[in-house]
Amino acid sequence: MADTSLSQAEARSEAPRPKTSWFSAVLYKSEALRGYLLMSPTMLILTIGIIIPFFILVAMSLWTRDGFGFDTTLTLSNYARTQSEPIFNALLQRSFWISGVATVATILVCYPMAYYVAFHVHRNKMMWIILMTLPFWTSYLLRVFAWKVILGYEGVINSGFMAIGWIEAPLEFLLYSQTAVIITLAHAWAAFAILPMYVSLEKIDKSLLEAATDLGDGPVARFFRITLPLSMPGVIAASFLIFIPTTGDYITPALLGGPDGAMIGNFIQLQFGPVNNWPMGATLSIVLMLWIAAIALVFLFLTRKAQEKIA
Amino acid sequence: MDVVDQLGAVREGKLSRRAFTKALLAAGVATATVPLGARQARATGDQATYFTWGGYDIPDIFQPYQAKNGELPNFSVFGASEEALTKMRGGFVVDVAHPCNSGMPRWVQTGLFHPIDTGRVEGFGDIIPSLVDLPGNAADGGNVWMVPFDWGQTSVTYRTDLFELEGEESWDMLWDKRYANKLGSLGSGGDAWWCGAIKAGVNFDDLDTDDAFTKISAVMREQRPLIRTYTDDTTTLQQALASGEMVAAMTWNDSATLLKAEGVPVKFAAPKEGALTWVCGLMMHKDAPNPDRAYDIISSLVSVESGKFLIDDYGYGHSNAKSFDEIPDERLAELGLSRNPDDILSAGHFQRPMSQDWETRMNETFEQIKAGF
Repeated sequence: MADTSLSQAEARSEAPRPKTSWFSAVLYKSEALRGYLLMSPTMLILTIGIIIPFFILVAMSLWTRDGFGFDTTLTLSNYARTQSEPIFNALLQRSFWISGVATVATILVCYPMAYYVAFHVHRNKMMWIILMTLPFWTSYLLRVFAWKVILGYEGVINSGFMAIGWIEAPLEFLLYSQTAVIITLAHAWAAFAILPMYVSLEKIDKSLLEAATDLGDGPVARFFRITLPLSMPGVIAASFLIFIPTTGDYITPALLGGPDGAMIGNFIQLQFGPVNNWPMGATLSIVLMLWIAAIALVFLFLTRKAQEKIA
Repeated sequence: MDVVDQLGAVREGKLSRRAFTKALLAAGVATATVPLGARQARATGDQATYFTWGGYDIPDIFQPYQAKNGELPNFSVFGASEEALTKMRGGFVVDVAHPCNSGMPRWVQTGLFHPIDTGRVEGFGDIIPSLVDLPGNAADGGNVWMVPFDWGQTSVTYRTDLFELEGEESWDMLWDKRYANKLGSLGSGGDAWWCGAIKAGVNFDDLDTDDAFTKISAVMREQRPLIRTYTDDTTTLQQALASGEMVAAMTWNDSATLLKAEGVPVKFAAPKEGALTWVCGLMMHKDAPNPDRAYDIISSLVSVESGKFLIDDYGYGHSNAKSFDEIPDERLAELGLSRNPDDILSAGHFQRPMSQDWETRMNETFEQIKAGF
């Protein structure tokens, strides 16, 4: 940006334009200003798209519902309600449980895949990575519906098992349950887990592994002493990338969860929809954000400690 | 130009410069003309938008509209009327929306709607007067807020082969512990709560009392562990009934009629306590971008053609008296309908408008019960 405004100033140098040249001089001198200018499009979008709505959310969470409108006197009564009524904490706990299990499952399933591509694939690596991200080529909603077809009463799994003769009647717990939500979330977010773990595994210096072997480590010890600790940054990034968005997930529990699989996201949606209590919805969103932030901090702290210990 | 030859030439590295330029030209023309088709399709002008329940976004009930405007209107679909109202209060502008009688006065109160000039609705004279004459429907100058379109019942659709009936058909069927996890329910309080009131024996006059809330909550809590899923999507319920995943579910008339047409052995129960009955209709948004075509939508929906389809294929009552002339008496009896809507509507428990506070309290309570509290 500095360059373009400089050349503009030069091009117009015949006509004296003190303002332009003053500006470009400042721009030329101040690195910080150039940095902010470069960032400004993103900052603008962040301000309009995230910071302002966030403050609206905070303000709304301090209001109360009044018929069709809002009572704008500030009060903490909504926050008090989240503590006094057990439903909110129960739904939060259920959400953390479901997305926690989904996160662990995703990591466990995806780590070997990332490991295989990082260490044992030598040709066409790009193709392998593209293949692993294939689920992301269809919309999220379609993937959820696909799982409904697979897990359904007359779905692929049930009719397959019945054809083989393993089961007499369709398994009912497959659909409309927490299991269904966990399976779907784990599959739908797989690519988010594979990519960061692949990158951190790929970066591991192979000579370290050779050194470990030379010094007498077997394959298992070598994995736990070298590969796993060095790939931890990828695992942590993957955990965050999955845990944070899935906790507030709405559409998967809505379509596959049944009565017992509802999560906090569904309840927030209800507040903005049929229950018609927007301030309560705003409060719940903020409570959810705070909880996720707290859990993320604790998780980060624990992994730091663990890494220090290993190192 | 033989495509295979060209491809072979490319592979061998023998593609002539002329052929290459030709190919580039063809690709360029192709790219440039792709959006042309799409633009032409839109050239007939903006169609009006119809905001409706799932299942009404079909060409069959828009034949007159299509004949006049060349295309179908745009559709936007909702699953529950509170959801629809919230969306419009949030700034979603449509031309015509499809609420029901119990919500209509509250919809009017939001100030988002415009009275409908009955003179501009074709065939308004044929509309059954008792359906127009609903509480809160009269607007200034003899106009109405809502032009009635369809009416029907909320009741139990059950598999005659899988559900063993004990005694008479009744709402108890959806509370039958023998079929735990094989029962389904509509997810919106706008239907389920009212059916719960019928089951609990609460008179609709007393719905607004704390006692009613306690009683209805109790029956809804009792039912919840038996329900496989609550959904606003009638297709889900229909598929589950067809596969035997559910043996009975709370539905509207259409689910039973559609399943029967598919050859599934189902029956739309006439519960001894009475079914829930309602009238739905069409309201016009005050900022409707295409008011003329909005009237075309309304006229199209209340037309005899649409009515015949609605009665015969969906099993709903229609607001146009002449639609019933197209349907033989035996078919009407089979569908459980009557030429005089009052026979059906007053035989059941007719939904009525409630206050906004009541709606909110009801939805809040019901959603908590659904979540297990």
